[in-house]
Amino acid sequence: MAALIDDTGRPRLEAWLAEATGATRVSVADEGRLGGGAISLNLAVTLDVDGGPRAGRHACVLRAQSAAGIQASISKGQEFAVLRAAFDAGVAAPEPIAACADPDVLGVEFYVMRRADGVGAGHKVVKSGQPQRDLARELGRQLGRLHRAGPDTPGLGDLPVPNPCPALDAVHAYKAWMGAAATCDPVLAWGLRWLEVNAPPPGELVLCHRDFRTGNYLVKDGQLTAILDWEFAGFSDPMEDLAWFCARSWRFGRNDREAGGIADRADFYAGYEETSGRQVDAQAVAYWETSAYVRWAAVAILQARRHTSGEEPSLELALTGRMLPEIELDLLRHLKAIGTMTTEAGVG
Amino acid sequence: MRTSPDARELLAISLKTFREELLPHIPPAQRYTALMIANALGIVEREMAGLDEAGHTMLGALALLYGEDADNSLSGEDLRERVHGLQHRLCIEIAAGDFDHESQDTLMECLEEIVEARLSIDNPKALKP
Repeated sequence: MAALIDDTGRPRLEAWLAEATGATRVSVADEGRLGGGAISLNLAVTLDVDGGPRAGRHACVLRAQSAAGIQASISKGQEFAVLRAAFDAGVAAPEPIAACADPDVLGVEFYVMRRADGVGAGHKVVKSGQPQRDLARELGRQLGRLHRAGPDTPGLGDLPVPNPCPALDAVHAYKAWMGAAATCDPVLAWGLRWLEVNAPPPGELVLCHRDFRTGNYLVKDGQLTAILDWEFAGFSDPMEDLAWFCARSWRFGRNDREAGGIADRADFYAGYEETSGRQVDAQAVAYWETSAYVRWAAVAILQARRHTSGEEPSLELALTGRMLPEIELDLLRHLKAIGTMTTEAGVG
Repeated sequence: MRTSPDARELLAISLKTFREELLPHIPPAQRYTALMIANALGIVEREMAGLDEAGHTMLGALALLYGEDADNSLSGEDLRERVHGLQHRLCIEIAAGDFDHESQDTLMECLEEIVEARLSIDNPKALKP
């Protein structure tokens, strides 16, 4: 990919940033691409701001739409609004600084946010002799705070509201993303059917992160420093985020620690209940965990298609397509586990 | 017809050389990419050697579900077309609700076998419980 900030783009970016931050002058140092952005492009930048309320030096991230993008993600403008709402709700989201929808500046939509320190890679975060109970509890608290925002929160008017209900809306979206795979892969077909038959009726709608999981937050010295990757955010059933966090896919080999590979669900749930003002509904979480596997499978198909279509040749995207059977095995294991649970409950 | 060593043998020695002689010396910044290459080549190796075997496992699982005998004589494209046809049929039946109230255990067993056959190529490590 060509450099996003080249010699012609830089003065335009600096002029735009000066205006957006009320500064007299801003200079931008490009420190290169940050990892972890399979869908978005993340550049480490340092801003030197003269004048205005943000005068000083700031380590930031410039986050731009990638060439192809995928259907599942929202626009960078919407993502900025979500980040703002989350930050204002007291969530440890990186502080949003300014968003730019004008394609004349860098050729793509982008925004700038403050850069946070810490380790993000899932396999490193889960590496710990003892369960990280405080971290799990804190992540629960953070999610509870986020879920206090909803369709009435100022600034979120651009985000679509699910209709008729989040569970079925999600199934329709997964089918659309899968395309032909939904009619030639019986595991996916069964997952989709199960979700349709067992869909809970519409309930409370809250602002969900929709990719809230180990690998998408930063930790420094055991403490949470930031929650990242807000591009899938949207209104949904609050239990969707809890289920996604606990899904087997994001435990990075620590299957004994069901909350993101870091601790037990109990710690995570307790933190959530502390700040959200609602109880965790285990049965709804189990439904949304099925939904999580089907969603991840659909996203993996979309990712692989970015490669196979020739739009964005990438080994990482190609290999994501080959993860499908593993995601499906997790789906089947989950369905088996909750099936047993239902039988036991019925007998009792 | 082919010059020896054949494609499989060449791939096997390339992968072995890459893993043993190059991978330990790759700088940290490129290590993830190098591991992805080794992973991808491993999939290719297993697919070249075991696609028909996986196909027969899948065919066997589907045939059992339908109470039919699997055709063991099929191979290559014919085998894959047959598996594809049966999988498509099963998808239609699932979507129509044929398994909503009955035969779910048999269906689950069939689906598990299908996934395990595919994992034997894509990621055999995931098969460990």
